[in-house]
Amino acid sequence: MADFQTSTHRSKWIFTPQDLIEKYKAANQRAKQTLEKYGVTRIEVDADGSLQYPEPQISAKDNAEKRSRPKPLNFEEERFMRSFYEYKIQEVCAAFSFPHKIQATALIYYKRFYLQWSVMEHHPKHIMLTCIYAACKIEENHVSAEELGKGIAQDHQMILNNEMIVLQSLDFDLIVFAPYRSVEGFVDDMEEFCQAKNDQLQMLKDLHKTAKMEVDKTMLTDAPLLFPPGQLALAALRRSNEVHQVLDFERYLSSILSRQDFSHVFSELTESLNAIDSWVMKHQVPTTEDMKHIDRKLKFCLDPSSHDKSKKREKKSKHKSKRSASEMQNLPPGA
Amino acid sequence: MMKSMLDEKKKVADRYLKRQVLGEGTYGVVYKAFDTMTGQTVAIKRIRLGNYKEGVNFTALREIKLLKELKDPNIIELIDAFPHDGNLHLVFEFMQTDLEAVIRDRNIVLSLADIKSYMQMTLKGLAYCHKKWVVHRDMKPNNLLIGEDGQLKLADFGLARIFGSPNRKLTHQVFARWYRAPELLFGAKQYGSGVDIWAVSCIFAELLLRRPFLQGSSDIDQLGKIFAAFGTPKPSQWPDMVCLPNYMEYQYVPAPPLRTLFPTATDDALDLLAKMFTYDPRARISAEQALEHRYFSSLPLPTKPAELRIPPPKGDSSNSEPLDLNQQQSGPTVLSPSRKLRRVTLDHEGFDRDRNQS
Repeated sequence: MADFQTSTHRSKWIFTPQDLIEKYKAANQRAKQTLEKYGVTRIEVDADGSLQYPEPQISAKDNAEKRSRPKPLNFEEERFMRSFYEYKIQEVCAAFSFPHKIQATALIYYKRFYLQWSVMEHHPKHIMLTCIYAACKIEENHVSAEELGKGIAQDHQMILNNEMIVLQSLDFDLIVFAPYRSVEGFVDDMEEFCQAKNDQLQMLKDLHKTAKMEVDKTMLTDAPLLFPPGQLALAALRRSNEVHQVLDFERYLSSILSRQDFSHVFSELTESLNAIDSWVMKHQVPTTEDMKHIDRKLKFCLDPSSHDKSKKREKKSKHKSKRSASEMQNLPPGA
Repeated sequence: MMKSMLDEKKKVADRYLKRQVLGEGTYGVVYKAFDTMTGQTVAIKRIRLGNYKEGVNFTALREIKLLKELKDPNIIELIDAFPHDGNLHLVFEFMQTDLEAVIRDRNIVLSLADIKSYMQMTLKGLAYCHKKWVVHRDMKPNNLLIGEDGQLKLADFGLARIFGSPNRKLTHQVFARWYRAPELLFGAKQYGSGVDIWAVSCIFAELLLRRPFLQGSSDIDQLGKIFAAFGTPKPSQWPDMVCLPNYMEYQYVPAPPLRTLFPTATDDALDLLAKMFTYDPRARISAEQALEHRYFSSLPLPTKPAELRIPPPKGDSSNSEPLDLNQQQSGPTVLSPSRKLRRVTLDHEGFDRDRNQS
């Protein structure tokens, strides 16, 4: 589908930064309240999209265990958690050598999903895999759930169980526009713009390559929920051009603005590109330490009964040699 | 808070009041229903969920993803999609009948202006799809639905997909055989919107003849029927033909004058028909160009949709007689039979496996 202008992506899924904060806050707040009320946040899902909310716990037992009550994740911790699994999406997609398009679609699905849900309600590990599975299906690059599950040692039934709630949370708007295509289009256009010959053609190839990596970075931020793919592509190309110095980017921007019926003026466009750059710049990578702590918290929220078990496990593993960083990078078990 | 979310969910399902069964679709039962929110009559496709190895039905997903983006007066509207009671429900605008019922209904006289109107609406819907890089791949009269107001709309996008990505392999196992373009019958894996145009020209012919035009009994027979009607294509006419995977040489048959096949058609109609039935898909007229053809601007002008006579609503099945499948025409003989028996193999393009299961 080559028409972003009339797409659901444009009409329903581009937000303001304020919108995003409100949505994330609302989801976090709701999960907190559930935790207070029921002592647990996990929502059980079924393949037909039906949800089972936590049951109120018996109050006597409640009181006895009051001290060991799980604490909810705060706004920041949720953000880290979401981000951590966005990296995982890129990793898993790379491990399966999926095309960029699938990775981008999965990331966008994942981002849209967590506009409505807290990670305390639906574990991001499950949602991440389900988003990859759905992206493969929608982009006509089918991988069976079993194959996908096997590839990363996860139960594929979990993927199938979550599929409907993911589709539903996306409001069934399944065609999404990733910036990779736009980057390609702009690079082709630049060839013409520069009337590129041998040397410059090679430089444009390098420009393209770096821009793709810049898009990869952009896809991990909130920017895809805030800007249209064409602008994300241009911002990535501009950053790439700062490295390769292939063309006068300002002149190029004015040229596309003069040629196409872009609705905005030059200053607005550069403003957007600057904003995208700053999203990419300020994007924080959660550290392994951060994740360890947050993941433990999340586990208790989802399943308070795991508390005792894992305490024991921790004791046991204490005398073991320090866990390697790579092991920590692995998906938390039993989540 | 939780309770209100559950209520919300219940509300969605309560919005529609189910009425009678309209029929069995490609992948589930279709109901007529009343939308209490808009007061509109709707058609609900119900698709079973759960316990499938590959989750939500691919055909349904394809249809949803495309119809969510395609909004046009000549394309069926997907109003809503929601899971309920272990089923996925797709809510469509209700359509009274389809073009197949019109063609079959002997009580309906199809004037040249009526045919022109149906063709125009079909091509408009198709031109919109092609503009959005969507190939329908299942154009046939019973997928062209007709509303109470006579508006014709393209439906059943379960085989449709986005085209135009270079080097992407597509399956040639699409369309009902009688509507399959020659490049597909020769096994083409890369093709474009031309396949839909060929199918629409078959529909055009069917409107003129009041019976399916090229009723092949196998893929080879289908090619035979095509060649008998338009002459065996020469490589000069269609250079890429000889490179197609399942190409084989057929005995040369000359084309009879088109006029003899369609005695009732006007010169303009024949000219457009010939341009749509062009062998080389590159040279075949596009939907957009076809709409510009003088056939549509010359007299008689297309009948206004509201003035078309359409059969009574579907579900009143009293007037539908089975199609005559035995109406055989003799085709030319195959010169060199294929080296080995050609088994129909399913490509790994995507989800067609699934379709065969359901």
